[in-house]
Amino acid sequence: MWWLARRVGLSLLLMWVVASIVFLALHMVPGDPAEMLLSTGGAMPDAYAIAELRERLGLNRPILEQYGAFLYGLTQGDLGTSLVDDYPVSAEIALRLPRTLELILAGTLLAVLVALPAGTFAAVRQGGAFDRIASSLAAVLQAVPVFVLGTLLILVLAQWLRWMPAGGYVPLAEDPMRHLVLLSLPAIAVAKGLAATIFRMTRASVLDALSRDHVRTARAKGLTPQRVLRRHVVRNALIPVTTVLGLQMGTLLGGTVLVEYVFNWPGLSTPLLRAVEARDYPMVVGIVITVSGLFLLINLAMDLIYAALDPRITRS
Amino acid sequence: MRRLWLPAGFVALIVLIAAAAPLLPLMDPVRQDVANRLVAYLPGSPMGRDEFGRDVMSRLIWGARSSLAVAFASAAIAAVIGTALGLLGGWFRGLAEVLAIRGADVVLCFPPVLLALLVVTLLGPGTGTLILVLSVLYLPGFIRVSFAEVLSARSQDYVEAVRALGARTPRILLRTVLPNIAGPVLVQVSLAVASAVVLESGLSFLGLGVVPPTPSWGLMIRGARATMEQAPMLLLWPCLALTATILAMNLLCDAVRDVADKRGGGGAPKLRLVDRLLPGLFPAPAAPRPLLDVQGLTVEIAVPGGIIRPVEDMSFRLDTGRTLAIVGESGSGKSMAATAIMGLLPPAARVADGVARFDGEDLLRMPEAARRKLRGGAMAMVFQDPMSSLNPVHRVGDQVAEAIRAHRDVPAAKASAEAVGLLKRVGIADPDRRARAYPHELSGGMRQRVMIAMAIANKPRLLIADEPTTALDVTVQAAILDLLADLRREEGMGLVLITHSLGVVAEVAEDVVVMYAAQVVERGPVSQVFANPLHPYTRALLAAVPDGDIEPEGIPGVVPRPDRWPPGCRFAPRCTFATEACETPPPLEEVQGQAVRCVRWRELRA
Repeated sequence: MWWLARRVGLSLLLMWVVASIVFLALHMVPGDPAEMLLSTGGAMPDAYAIAELRERLGLNRPILEQYGAFLYGLTQGDLGTSLVDDYPVSAEIALRLPRTLELILAGTLLAVLVALPAGTFAAVRQGGAFDRIASSLAAVLQAVPVFVLGTLLILVLAQWLRWMPAGGYVPLAEDPMRHLVLLSLPAIAVAKGLAATIFRMTRASVLDALSRDHVRTARAKGLTPQRVLRRHVVRNALIPVTTVLGLQMGTLLGGTVLVEYVFNWPGLSTPLLRAVEARDYPMVVGIVITVSGLFLLINLAMDLIYAALDPRITRS
Repeated sequence: MRRLWLPAGFVALIVLIAAAAPLLPLMDPVRQDVANRLVAYLPGSPMGRDEFGRDVMSRLIWGARSSLAVAFASAAIAAVIGTALGLLGGWFRGLAEVLAIRGADVVLCFPPVLLALLVVTLLGPGTGTLILVLSVLYLPGFIRVSFAEVLSARSQDYVEAVRALGARTPRILLRTVLPNIAGPVLVQVSLAVASAVVLESGLSFLGLGVVPPTPSWGLMIRGARATMEQAPMLLLWPCLALTATILAMNLLCDAVRDVADKRGGGGAPKLRLVDRLLPGLFPAPAAPRPLLDVQGLTVEIAVPGGIIRPVEDMSFRLDTGRTLAIVGESGSGKSMAATAIMGLLPPAARVADGVARFDGEDLLRMPEAARRKLRGGAMAMVFQDPMSSLNPVHRVGDQVAEAIRAHRDVPAAKASAEAVGLLKRVGIADPDRRARAYPHELSGGMRQRVMIAMAIANKPRLLIADEPTTALDVTVQAAILDLLADLRREEGMGLVLITHSLGVVAEVAEDVVVMYAAQVVERGPVSQVFANPLHPYTRALLAAVPDGDIEPEGIPGVVPRPDRWPPGCRFAPRCTFATEACETPPPLEEVQGQAVRCVRWRELRA
């Protein structure tokens, strides 16, 4: 329990660090941040606009006061309002976040369901036909950038073969079938990098576990090969796989931004990219903090899974 | 090495073409020609023109140039700054360490693309912003690698020596530590470059990286999306170029890592779960049937240089209720022989010849399914290191119960109760509570007791114990040996005890097999062999270790490697009695219940 409390405490601490960095980033910009945000190309922005933006962002107040107000707002779930349309940032995120979460969940599920068995099988039959084909495929998948895969999926499946819609979104309640069809391609794109990594990691980890002494003990007990594999190889091999899974989540979340863009999936990336282009700082900050928080949360979950798999973590 | 040169060559080619872009006879990559937009082929434009009529091939090559420039620049900046921070943090510790390592941790709190987007919002898109963001993103990798390496280098003797000579810190850092961390840093550089190409193209694809009209692969894919129906090739070319480049870079990373990480040995040997059936027939034995009768057992391992034989023509027999010890130094092949009999050889090894009859049935030619039913049932094995031999993630009671249920159809609750009884049987106090413990919560002696409980779970008739006390404290060793002796007597098992300790042999065994360099050199009843050793090796063992408690180190030299065996008697190079006659391989001769492999045993006895 002590261990759990410390781990949760660490996550909260990191969240605070993330928020502070995001806050400070605006002030670390050389020169006047408001001027920086308004400048496009070489053109000098209008002095009146700069003054107005300084007022909007509260840049005229003492920095500690700004910081306090920012942190207090965070604890209240208040992330400020968009510079573009005055819409509350938290409302926009509340609307979009579930869709992004759905995509991440579907992609992760898909990756785990495909890559774990495939990696295990490839390791057990190391050097066999399946292993060689799957390993090469994983290397290629790892090399294809996620937006390239997404674009190519659209080109082949939507444009040429016309099997799938090119993208879009329908709420689940409106048309469940259509919703899942539209979810499938983005989910595949999100899953690809993770699947390649899980496959390689599982394969290496199972190979390592197979050569361990305790596997020999299990065989010496006369267990069936299936049972040896399930209880004494895969179970142990999963431990390093979860660690890598946690490390990969950052890449996965970044990839989701690109995938949502490619497939017109109305998650967090649409307002994020719009805000980056419009230099809508509060909106960008809100989304970056939300997604970074999600990232920390996923890593916390991974650590809990890790502890459940490996009794040595919590008990000693 | 071939794995290194192919991707390295490809990456070098791309870099070379990109670097030479201004020198190549290419069209201007930004000159528009709307009349020829989306044309598939034009003289001078073999890949056609894009949506603004710009030459695709020229844009591909110039695009490579901007991608690679960003990637290499950011990797180089991150490498220099990150390594410097890691060096300082690792050398001065204290505040420098906190700043470097915590700083790195902070960067790792953000998903990379989002951190990049945050900075782009502040500074606006452009090549400069990209390089800044990417170098920040790759800093942690360099800081951590160089920090860890400095910490380990600091404690090395040569650095201590240079320090003691009074060298100044910057000088030590530059001259002694830096060259040693070059390998890991190089690996990081290759990873950073490959990853930067991916991120740069992704951001450019979103329109937030390289600013048009500068060509970039990400921008080309972005532009071609709108016209993918009319001109799919426009989309496919940059996709292909980008993927091929990243693939080559990833392969190069893997290869660089393998080369730099010398600890990572060659590829693992081929694995198979189902052992092969082995051919070979021997005549049936006569007279009273021994519990275990091993004849001519030979094990082979295929290695790059050919085939080695860690066990050669080994024979012995064991009757029910007796104890046979197999002794020899490390590398003599004794453990390999035991695992061969159990059918637990590592995948690279195979039984090349011989029979091992257990109750009259040949274990070596038995189908794996039948042998599995015997393993852990009628015959069981205890291994050397009880820590690694128990599965760390399962409770020890469950691991014992698993052995029961593998052979008998009993309900889980009954198996658990029986497991507790077994733990009690092997002398574990408070077995109810200990059954719920994980292996790391038990002492070494207790773990070995758990291993033994597991082995005797199904009342085996044969128990093979492979150096069961070597990994344990001296005080625990005797207790474990007593336990084994008690169990053998009470259960009427046959016990094969593998050991390098003659003290153990004298204490518990009735028969002994002495092995040297894969061969049996002497065999017979313990009382006879100890009183009257025939082989010079046995003599040397007995003479070198009067108390028999430590590895025999009194014999000069070591056991030769299996690929360097002397042509004649394998012990001859270390034997004080060696003569010319020892240059031919000696046979194993039987004399009055004893067997010896030495041409001079008759003269030496006198």
